Amino acid sequence: MITAVQKPFEEIYRMVEASGKLLILGCGTCVTVCMAGGEKEVGILASTLRLACRERGSSLEIEEATIERQCDREFFDPVKAQVLGADAVLSMACGVGVQFCSELFEGKRVLPALNTRFYGTTVQQGLWSERCAGCGTCVLDRFGGVCPVARCAKSLLNGPCGGAQDGKCEVDKEIDCGWQLIYDRMSALGLLDSLMEIQPVKDWSTGRDGGPGRIRRQDVEL
Amino acid sequence: MEKKKIVAFCCENSSLKAAEALSDPSLLEAVEIVALPCLGKIEIGLVLKCLEKGHPGVLVLGCPLDNCQYLRGNYRAVKRVERVRQLLGEAGLDESRVRMDFLSSLDSHRLAEILQGIKRSEA
Amino acid sequence: MKEGNGLKAGSNLERVFQAGHFAVTAELGPPKSAEVEVVHTKAGYLKGVVDAVNITDNQTAIVRMSSLAAGLLAMREGLEPVIQITCRDRNRIAIQSDVLGAYALGVRNILCLSGDHQKFGNHPSCKNVYDLDSVQLIGMLKEMRDDKRFLCGEEIRNGKNAPLAEPRIFIGGAANPFGDPFPVRVIRLAKKVRAGADFIQTQCIYDMERFEEWMRQVRERGLHEQVKIMAGLTPLKSVGMAQYMRDNVAGLRIPDQVLERLSKAQDKAAEGIKICVEQIQRLREIEGVAGVHIMAIEWEKRVAEIVEKAGLLPRPKV
Repeated sequence: MITAVQKPFEEIYRMVEASGKLLILGCGTCVTVCMAGGEKEVGILASTLRLACRERGSSLEIEEATIERQCDREFFDPVKAQVLGADAVLSMACGVGVQFCSELFEGKRVLPALNTRFYGTTVQQGLWSERCAGCGTCVLDRFGGVCPVARCAKSLLNGPCGGAQDGKCEVDKEIDCGWQLIYDRMSALGLLDSLMEIQPVKDWSTGRDGGPGRIRRQDVEL
Repeated sequence: MEKKKIVAFCCENSSLKAAEALSDPSLLEAVEIVALPCLGKIEIGLVLKCLEKGHPGVLVLGCPLDNCQYLRGNYRAVKRVERVRQLLGEAGLDESRVRMDFLSSLDSHRLAEILQGIKRSEA
Repeated sequence: MKEGNGLKAGSNLERVFQAGHFAVTAELGPPKSAEVEVVHTKAGYLKGVVDAVNITDNQTAIVRMSSLAAGLLAMREGLEPVIQITCRDRNRIAIQSDVLGAYALGVRNILCLSGDHQKFGNHPSCKNVYDLDSVQLIGMLKEMRDDKRFLCGEEIRNGKNAPLAEPRIFIGGAANPFGDPFPVRVIRLAKKVRAGADFIQTQCIYDMERFEEWMRQVRERGLHEQVKIMAGLTPLKSVGMAQYMRDNVAGLRIPDQVLERLSKAQDKAAEGIKICVEQIQRLREIEGVAGVHIMAIEWEKRVAEIVEKAGLLPRPKV
């Protein structure tokens, strides 16, 4: 999923305080799973904001709603009226949802309640970890299913570097050395020999480095 | 308009029983009791809603740690109460409005002290 | 500089190896400013004492005068530099460009490194580059030199009718016999050799047993015959320094006996030098070790003493 964390309260407050009527809009998919922007989190933020506004003498009026996803047009239908009726929308979706909402409702101020982080997985409740960097040229078959681009701090394709210790990355002892994981996995698969191959230089242009991404599928266009 | 009272979330297995065994039941008028089958059911959003609705505070009364019938319900409640207090603090609000305490079903005496304390602070 | 005679770059370091001598290199850390005097002073300590000098490249991701610039200043003082290039700060365009420039200015040795992550340095919020890794960097320099082509495949000439003018560099890589996972260490060295490394410098050694085990595995694969291996050493100035390095430098191990010996000594610095000299003597006995690389961090002025006491002066003229 796309993971995100909520922005600090003060930052959110400063963004919304000038709006008269605010709609806090949650998203039922990725950010619900990483417990940052789902229905529950919308309720908590709304209550906290109302309490703070009361305390600070602000007359901000706050409404709450959550839709399935904020990255597809049709999911906005049930809340269209609410969005149009608000002075601003505080979207609790990832950066994609915030922007998409903004595009759909021209002229409407849509603000981000979250800081979008990475494509990752739930390791256990309360712990999410990055797995994919969206490089556009997947080479997971070469590394036993562990991605050196996303899980090595230096994205080495011919790793490891000299800095790992006890299987942890030199950058952060809480993070596994991606190359230790690759080595262990390839070892278990009996594929250690292929680590001897020199991986050629990567074409980064299929990812973010090539410019804003776009996919066109004419075969499914209506 | 009726003045709102502190909401006391009570675990059915302990604090609620202690409440039923109070020698002076009138003490219970200091709070509005909400019974839960286990404090593990407490939700952050619910606690905040109480404050939002104008209740001056929230008291969460659970079983002593390691004495939870459902094993870890009270530990979960501790974390959630800590989180609510943190959220209040970050928003510049008074964290002491939300409190947690631990009682067994035999602690009527203790419960009485807590309720008396509340009565005093409101006087 | 002489080229030909089977030499790839004709650098002094290459010729020392070719003549069969035990090579000696040291390290010069450029200043964290535009102060030229620092380079002159350090170069002064090393002149005539070593066969070539590594000029570090924003080591530990702390901004310093560039390796190339400081290397040129060192050249003017009569030293032969080994310019260092890390993958952390430069993409393939910048690196190839710098290599052309370095060669044009007389540089003949380049050491290829992945580079310490920027989190260690004084600009931790900068953008990550790492367009290539050190193995690919070595391969790229080899391709420039031997195939006379850029990474994209184009020939290195200024125009259709211009002559080929490739950078003929003596290519170095780094090796860490002490990092994790241990079994991978020799695989990685083998990859660098296959990619085209001419010489290798190791991370500084304190654990002689582990290094000897690594060398045994290196010899098993015949790698010592395909590449010139230089053992890295860093003389310890104090117990504090030893402890700091043990606890903070990624991929470094210092055995307790070394620390004990240092703490028991009266003059810690002198003991540190003594340990270093003894290490050199032991290293010369190990088959496959072609030289020693002395990284005396901010202690360049003691290098001459170490090299002399190890019986390695005067340096050969080749």
